[in-house]
Amino acid sequence: MLYIEHYSKTYPGGKKAVDNLTLHVQPGEIYGFIGHNGAGKTTTLRAVAGVMDFTEGTITIDGHDIKKDPVGAKRVTAFLPDNPDLYEFMKGIDYLNFIADLYDIPADQRTADIGKYADAFELTGNLGSPIGSYSHGMRQKLALISAFIRRPRLLILDEPFVGLDPAAAHLMKGYLAELCQGGSAVFFSTHVLEVAEKLCHKIAIIKHGRLVRSGPTAELVGDSSLEDVFLELEGEK
Amino acid sequence: MKKFLALLKVSIQSMLLSSTNSRGRSRKKAATGLGAVVVIAGLGLYLSGFYSYMLMQALAPSHMEILVFIFMGMAALVGGLLFTTFAVKGVVFGGKDNDLLLSMPVSSTLLMASRVTAIYLENLLFSAFVLLPAGVVCTMLTQSGVGHSLLFWVRLVIAALTLPLLDTALSVLLGALVAFLSARVSKGALGQNIVTGLFLVVVFYFSFNLNRMISGLAVNAAGIKDSLNWAAPLLWMGEGILGDWGLLLAFAACCVIPFALVVFGLGRVYWQAVTAFAARSAQSNYKLSAQSASSQKKALLRKEAQRFFGTPMYFWNAGLGLIMLLAAGAASLVMREKLLAFVGMEGFPLLPMAAAVICFCLCTCPIAAPSVSLEGKYLWILREAPMPGSTLLWVKVGFQLLLTLPCTVIAGACISIALGFHLWQGAALLISALLFAVGHAMFGMLMGLAFPKLDAVNETVVIKQSLATTLAMFVPMAALAAAGGLYWLGSQMTGWAALALPILLFALLTAVCAAILSKRGPVMLQAL
Repeated sequence: MLYIEHYSKTYPGGKKAVDNLTLHVQPGEIYGFIGHNGAGKTTTLRAVAGVMDFTEGTITIDGHDIKKDPVGAKRVTAFLPDNPDLYEFMKGIDYLNFIADLYDIPADQRTADIGKYADAFELTGNLGSPIGSYSHGMRQKLALISAFIRRPRLLILDEPFVGLDPAAAHLMKGYLAELCQGGSAVFFSTHVLEVAEKLCHKIAIIKHGRLVRSGPTAELVGDSSLEDVFLELEGEK
Repeated sequence: MKKFLALLKVSIQSMLLSSTNSRGRSRKKAATGLGAVVVIAGLGLYLSGFYSYMLMQALAPSHMEILVFIFMGMAALVGGLLFTTFAVKGVVFGGKDNDLLLSMPVSSTLLMASRVTAIYLENLLFSAFVLLPAGVVCTMLTQSGVGHSLLFWVRLVIAALTLPLLDTALSVLLGALVAFLSARVSKGALGQNIVTGLFLVVVFYFSFNLNRMISGLAVNAAGIKDSLNWAAPLLWMGEGILGDWGLLLAFAACCVIPFALVVFGLGRVYWQAVTAFAARSAQSNYKLSAQSASSQKKALLRKEAQRFFGTPMYFWNAGLGLIMLLAAGAASLVMREKLLAFVGMEGFPLLPMAAAVICFCLCTCPIAAPSVSLEGKYLWILREAPMPGSTLLWVKVGFQLLLTLPCTVIAGACISIALGFHLWQGAALLISALLFAVGHAMFGMLMGLAFPKLDAVNETVVIKQSLATTLAMFVPMAALAAAGGLYWLGSQMTGWAALALPILLFALLTAVCAAILSKRGPVMLQAL
């Protein structure tokens, strides 16, 4: 589903944020991406989503090269940044319809999906209000709904649990699993190691822009915990 | 004081950086920005100097220099109000750094004062541009010797420093009303648009009356001075500048007291005001019904329309020219007789003047220019969307054209009918104006891409003060002037050359903009 091959990103000034990263995410997998602050997680996710250009390597999503065929790659992808800023001058329902129009989602499908996810996240009643009046959590839920209604083949999430209440976080985990059962894949970054350990089929750990460990969660963790593995790799233990 | 200066520095930096883009990585861009600011300052000084000169020439022989200062004072007051009232909602009450700054250990009065002072400095610029050239002209042309002493300049500087205090107090009060309405009225944008519209009607009514008074000046200067009792503070300012220290003091008090009342009065409730203006609670009674689908381009166009019409600051600053176009068209029909009498002189270049009026109005509609910067923190939404960058850019250009082209056609048709143009003259007028409209939209888009301001703390900074908007207004005006030059050059040869040369220039510039936008636009967008 997602093939990142020898991906590198160098910022103006010469700082190498990510160095020669190779990583594969298969259909049906939930893939966790963890690392310290500034390790290169967000830089990688933004490049995968086609939001940010990169210097070296290739990124392919469902057969579409993000550089050669960005529109094709984006059509099967949904990306949620760590702090999603949504048009404050729009109402919630307008934003969902805007996204649905950009992704050519048929009217009946969008009505059904908006109803399903908005009801589940208890946001239906607020969809008629301007996004400017939403709390941080409500915006996060709206952004999540806008991602789910696309029925993406690859869902990319940057710190998706920040700002969500426990019930919404639980719900989201259920929907992520549902999405993967349908053959899609989820690639997300998080600092919540307990969640990553429980939720992810595979995990990659990045340090100073370099991949230091990756593989199935069970193999990676072994008899210890993900926290122990992570701290050991970070040199904290 | 240290804290106040630190806060003031932040406000001013935010305004200056948006005007010059000097924080950008390119020195060339910074130099272009500073150059643009210098050009605008020069233009402002020239215009105020020119009008002061005209007035002074008419009034100095009858020793009525005072009226020049009164009228220029009024112009500074109205100009400043027009410019800064729109800015107040964003700069004083709606800064995105409110949470940060309100959490700091500084009093809310101090914070309010620092932001109001930033507005004051903008007004001071207006006041200096308008009053100081009047002083120079007075020194040159006076026949009573009033402008020949050092004390005259001291008094003039005092007046130039205090007048913007009154301007600032008024614009802060009006801005607070606008901010209150947008927070309290369910259709906030509509409420704001109505208030702003009424405000502009009052300003324009006042300006037209001022023009009428100026036109009758030479005949009845003394009578006009007597009829200005309703503007007593400005009368005192004029008397003060010319030597009456008591009246100058009274004028200064009229400016300082309202300013102090606004700063300390609103400052005491600033924290509550900012909280109240920002607090909008989401309703919870929406019932989901069947949704309808539309195309990508329609969705993008709808978004642009929602932002344009739903953001009064954007609508009134970038859309005023549209209203002016329609008003010019309607006025030319309604006041046809007067217009014909006015322009009916032998050899008056009716057609180029009509084209110039329409194109000038179009210059004041930089709708596409700030639209990239307005995406700001929302740009990720469009970047991750499955569409090429060129689609987004052409939709933004298309949205401007959707508004400007119909208004141009209406204005062009009305003016052609009112002035009794032949069919070929009407066609030439429309072709040149439409070409200009298309080129202007594409040039604005290019400026938006070349000088983006994606991290602006409020919309005001992007719409009113950004380099992209400034260049999108003034560079096309320069092109218009060049077209005027070509018309003159052509008229020295043959009649058709006079028409063809400006049209060819517009066509060429439009084609160049289209080529650059097609080739470089998506790359520039990707690089943001």
